[in-house]
Amino acid sequence: MAALAEFLPYILSGVTWTLGLVAGGLAIGFVIGILMAIGQVYGSEEIKGFIHAYVWFFRSLPLLVLLFLFYWGVFPATGFKLDPLACSIVVLGLRSGAYQSQIFRGAILSLGDAQLLAARALGMNRLRAILHIVLPQALRISMPGWSNEYAIMIKDSAITFALGVLEILTRTRYVVMATHEPLIPYFFAGGLFIVMTYAGSKIVNVVYERTKIPGLVGRL
Amino acid sequence: MDAAYPPFTEIDPTGKAVGFDVDVVDWIAKKYSWQVEHKPWEWAAIITAVQAGDLDFVASGMTHTAARAEKVWFGLPYYSYIHQLLVPATETRTKDAVLNSGGYIAVQLGATSDEWAGKLLQKGYNFKKLGLDSYELAFKAVLDGRAVGVISDSAFTGPYFKKQPDVAAKFRVVSTIGGDVNYAYPTRPGDYGLRNAINHALEEIMASTDWQDLKDKWSI
Repeated sequence: MAALAEFLPYILSGVTWTLGLVAGGLAIGFVIGILMAIGQVYGSEEIKGFIHAYVWFFRSLPLLVLLFLFYWGVFPATGFKLDPLACSIVVLGLRSGAYQSQIFRGAILSLGDAQLLAARALGMNRLRAILHIVLPQALRISMPGWSNEYAIMIKDSAITFALGVLEILTRTRYVVMATHEPLIPYFFAGGLFIVMTYAGSKIVNVVYERTKIPGLVGRL
Repeated sequence: MDAAYPPFTEIDPTGKAVGFDVDVVDWIAKKYSWQVEHKPWEWAAIITAVQAGDLDFVASGMTHTAARAEKVWFGLPYYSYIHQLLVPATETRTKDAVLNSGGYIAVQLGATSDEWAGKLLQKGYNFKKLGLDSYELAFKAVLDGRAVGVISDSAFTGPYFKKQPDVAAKFRVVSTIGGDVNYAYPTRPGDYGLRNAINHALEEIMASTDWQDLKDKWSI
């Protein structure tokens, strides 16, 4: 047990990598998600068709398949040589963008047409109305769903072990091999995931409580 | 390297790569004044990593097999081992009886023990293969009663049993499987310079007293 305790800081240091994967993936996914949500609600039929295909592609394939597909196939074929960490962040972001687009799309649709029509009646053009009237409300409404996406991303980050990214799960596996103790390192890693999921969700909830539109939606 | 195969490759509490193969590579690097980075990589994708140039060679207890030799160039063999079928010490059945019991035989997924289980099933033996992430877990499956036996390799079993005599006392080798096989360091096809340099250095270290010192250090 004493020997195992020596290894726990090594697992703990994987938290930085996991949070880096999650932050990068969520950030890329956020940008993609917003743009795609706007495109799906207000875009032309061609744009909607492209977004539909994108969303179904990234939602249909397992993350492990996507990681291998992009790392060994797409990126080399297009001349990009990304290291495993960068590739993992990009793939997590592309996939999260598909899911986040549906979260934001649902939030935009929940507002109805009245907000946009009122903004247009006041003289705003469509783009300004979307950016200044629709999106600020939609983002607040989408926070509960977005919190769920964070929780999912935390766990998805563990799959990047397949590319050798030294996140928590990869490190835990190495510790299991080095200590011949198969259960306790995984319990410890599980505890770390629980803490990160809870802490992140709590932070999103605090932001949501401070920014929510009074009377419009309930608690997280 | 896949830092999940002690004593050939593992990590110490600081996360530094250690092991017999790590020490051999460091010895070779010192001879040629190379700067070597021991890069952790998922075993399932390690040969693809060599082919793609993400790794220059693998030093992680890799068996020279015909299938792998179609994709990489193997150097000199440096360690021989044999596969074994191990059962609980209280098991009285013969090898054939165990393999025809219809029960689970545990193996490490993707390892040569996994390949051997496949070959034995093709020969008509009646058992179910239980593929697990490591030999460690495969042995645990037998101790937990979830498998009637485990196919392991003596390269892992020998040092593992020396380190865990209490576990060793609970197993017995009922039979060897197949003949002797060898570990060798694979390089990219066409990389004559690196392969020849490694071979030359291996011949030198294997002829020196350092070789036995390293084997004693890692109990192999």
